Amino acid sequence: MIRKIIRWPLSYSISLVITLLAFLPVIILFTLASDSVQMFDARNLDILSNTLLLMLFTGLGAALIGVPLALLLTYVHIPWRRFWLILLTAPLALPSYLGAFTFYAAFGSGGEIENVLGITTPAVNGLFGSSLIMVLYTYPFVLLSTRAALSSLDASQVYAARTLGMSLLPSIWFVVLPRIRNAIAGGTLLAAMYALSDFGTPAMMGLTTFTSEIYVEYNAFGLSQAAMLSLQLLAVVALILYIESKVKVSQESPGRHLTFWPNYWQTKLLLLSTLPVVILAIFLPLAIFSLWLWREGIGHFDINYAINSAYASLLAALVAVIFALPLAYAATKGRVGRIMERITFIGFGIPGIVMGTALVYAGLQLPFLYQTLTLLVLAYVLRFLPLAVGTIRSSTESLDGSLVSAARVLGASPKEAYRRVTLPLTMRGVVAGGALVFLEVMRELPATLLLGPIEFETLSTYLWRVYEAGYFGRAAIPGLLLFFISGLGLAIMFSTERWGSTTLNERSSR
Amino acid sequence: MQRRAFIRSLSYIGIASAFPFLSTRSFAGSIDVISSHAISVNDLPELTGELTLYLGRGEGGLYEDVLNAIKKRNPNFTLRIRRGPTAALANTIMAEAKAGVRQADLFWAVDSGAIGQIVGAGLATPLPSDLTDQLHSKFRFNDWAPISGRIRTLPYNPERITADKIPDSIMALPDSNLSIAWAPAYASFQSFITAMRILEGDKATTQWLKAMNKKAKKYAGELGVVMAVERGEVDVGLANHYYTLRLKSGKPDAKLDLAFTKDDAGCLVNVSGVLALKESKTATDFIRYLLSKEVQTYLSGEAYEIPLVGKLSPPEGIPSLTEISPPTIDLTKLADLRPTLVLMRNAGVL
Repeated sequence: MIRKIIRWPLSYSISLVITLLAFLPVIILFTLASDSVQMFDARNLDILSNTLLLMLFTGLGAALIGVPLALLLTYVHIPWRRFWLILLTAPLALPSYLGAFTFYAAFGSGGEIENVLGITTPAVNGLFGSSLIMVLYTYPFVLLSTRAALSSLDASQVYAARTLGMSLLPSIWFVVLPRIRNAIAGGTLLAAMYALSDFGTPAMMGLTTFTSEIYVEYNAFGLSQAAMLSLQLLAVVALILYIESKVKVSQESPGRHLTFWPNYWQTKLLLLSTLPVVILAIFLPLAIFSLWLWREGIGHFDINYAINSAYASLLAALVAVIFALPLAYAATKGRVGRIMERITFIGFGIPGIVMGTALVYAGLQLPFLYQTLTLLVLAYVLRFLPLAVGTIRSSTESLDGSLVSAARVLGASPKEAYRRVTLPLTMRGVVAGGALVFLEVMRELPATLLLGPIEFETLSTYLWRVYEAGYFGRAAIPGLLLFFISGLGLAIMFSTERWGSTTLNERSSR
Repeated sequence: MQRRAFIRSLSYIGIASAFPFLSTRSFAGSIDVISSHAISVNDLPELTGELTLYLGRGEGGLYEDVLNAIKKRNPNFTLRIRRGPTAALANTIMAEAKAGVRQADLFWAVDSGAIGQIVGAGLATPLPSDLTDQLHSKFRFNDWAPISGRIRTLPYNPERITADKIPDSIMALPDSNLSIAWAPAYASFQSFITAMRILEGDKATTQWLKAMNKKAKKYAGELGVVMAVERGEVDVGLANHYYTLRLKSGKPDAKLDLAFTKDDAGCLVNVSGVLALKESKTATDFIRYLLSKEVQTYLSGEAYEIPLVGKLSPPEGIPSLTEISPPTIDLTKLADLRPTLVLMRNAGVL
């Protein structure tokens, strides 16, 4: 016991530095908020209940869509599996305010669906509308983290259950899902935190949330009040972080991969069942944009915006993964590591524009880097680190320590054991984490606007510009490119998943 | 729809043809007839060197077109632009000033409240009086220059009501039997309430807000308000004038008309404005370009903003500043937003 306390692993020291960096913007918020007396008043209870309900529905909905999709894309042998994976992950790259806007424009009386098809649809708004849109643009959080965990599960237990007479669905429910609940919880946590911090969607849907309150203050030049309210919002963040940390899984060694081979019609049916999601999250916004494009004509568009987006997002994904690895590793090593990992999550729950301003203050501490690409990438990493940490950690913690011990007994140094055993086994988690950061950076707005090099225009800043001005037709091409480039980036990342995992494959195919 | 697309492509593909001052001098003469004070770009000094502009909300291609035309006309001049939400850029400027890292030379904001913040913090440098003298007498300030104006209006659906059903006092609106759309979270609306607070007092404003809150339908932004009026969801809305004009330009048969109140906050004229953050001749000359009659004419013709220089005519579909009767109010006082928010909260509106 005493030895344990004295030993301070290397990963702890690195993690400590990264944690402090990630916590810096929050510390800045404390100093900004210090001259405010704005407190939570009783009237806010109404708003708080809206916020909590939106968070709850988003989390539940994201899990309800994300988990079955993850099962389908991991365990079922379908044609073009990689394509489906990329397609169904891409909604994460579209800013949810744009999704919300297209829903607002499409549905309801006088909406575009009525204009084009002549069918009057009910309006999408309020708590239901906000939750629906949030779910559509956050379920990939759950999809990717669940998939990463599923693919390292040993199939033998499912086969055993099936041999003993359990039918398919119960065996998934009782044998598979309990072993990956930490990954499901991790993805749901991210979806819920996104719902907590997003402003555009509830604003468009006419739902007043805590974040709308913060935006009103911010736009009325009450920066310190906005900072204070954001910090109060952190109480909710702390609560969900606590709940999520209670989800534990047992450790096990990886093994053979589970695959289902459905027949032709079953395959058709399964793919057809993804259709509502594809239509609502991808097809509808693109169709509405294209309609406006056809009506209003193409404006000026520079392909460099797309290159900038892709470049900055790939860099951020890479750096985020490098930062996240020691943190995720430390989180599985003990209590202190776990706490450090939790701390990096806090920033993710702070509304974007407030966080953007905090990052401006942080960036000004390094005047020589201020408004350079280096600092922008660092800002992205600090903001989206939890996306990478969470996914990598959930695939690391279910790993059975005996494999590492075996490697150590056979003479490998801790470094070598990590490189040759732990890393290959968690590669899917690493790639999933990188992919989440990549997609989230593609749609990031406030930090890009305030901290990017001057004249650094990306797809998301361009989309924002034309949206603000009401030139919706011009959103079509960058909107399409956003999906296309995200797909390309994801394709590259997923192709690295199998690096270093050859030995494992040999073992499981025997 | 066609016309709009045409103008848009024109301003992008052939900027020169949308901006006569780029290529010809002859056009300038014809404008002199309407304007006595506005200066043509032909009489302005050439810009040289480099400026960094923080541009609060881009207004799409329109402000961009103006900036591109100025760049094109001055080949030895480099303009670097950072775009962002107005309040976020104002906060960034404050943060930079605190850290002693001043990046921006100029700040162009769509909202006079943001200008008031920066001026109030003492960060703006005074402008020469021959520059500010070009503006309408109501719009002359020492430290900043208004660029274009927008009027608070009551857009209504002529298929549902006629203009004479709309009261000409904003304070009487909640007593009418009209159904109303509004966007209380929108910055321009809050400036309008600030004006009402200054003109009518806190008590009357609170009563007005409470009465309105009982019957008005809330929207996220004023484009949404205008769209709702056009769709026939409500009879009348509260919005800046240009949303109506823009929607009508894209959809000429839109069921929309504008009504104005008389001599109260309901027809407040608010402005976008520019200020210089560093002492620099290039920066002040740049502001002169923004006040030139070509830019002012373009902003009114394409962005439907109201020109504030000389005697240039307002955009089509809007009566001139002399025909409507906006209230007399010091625009820099509109920066005092916080008491307005408290009031709106107490009335249950926010």
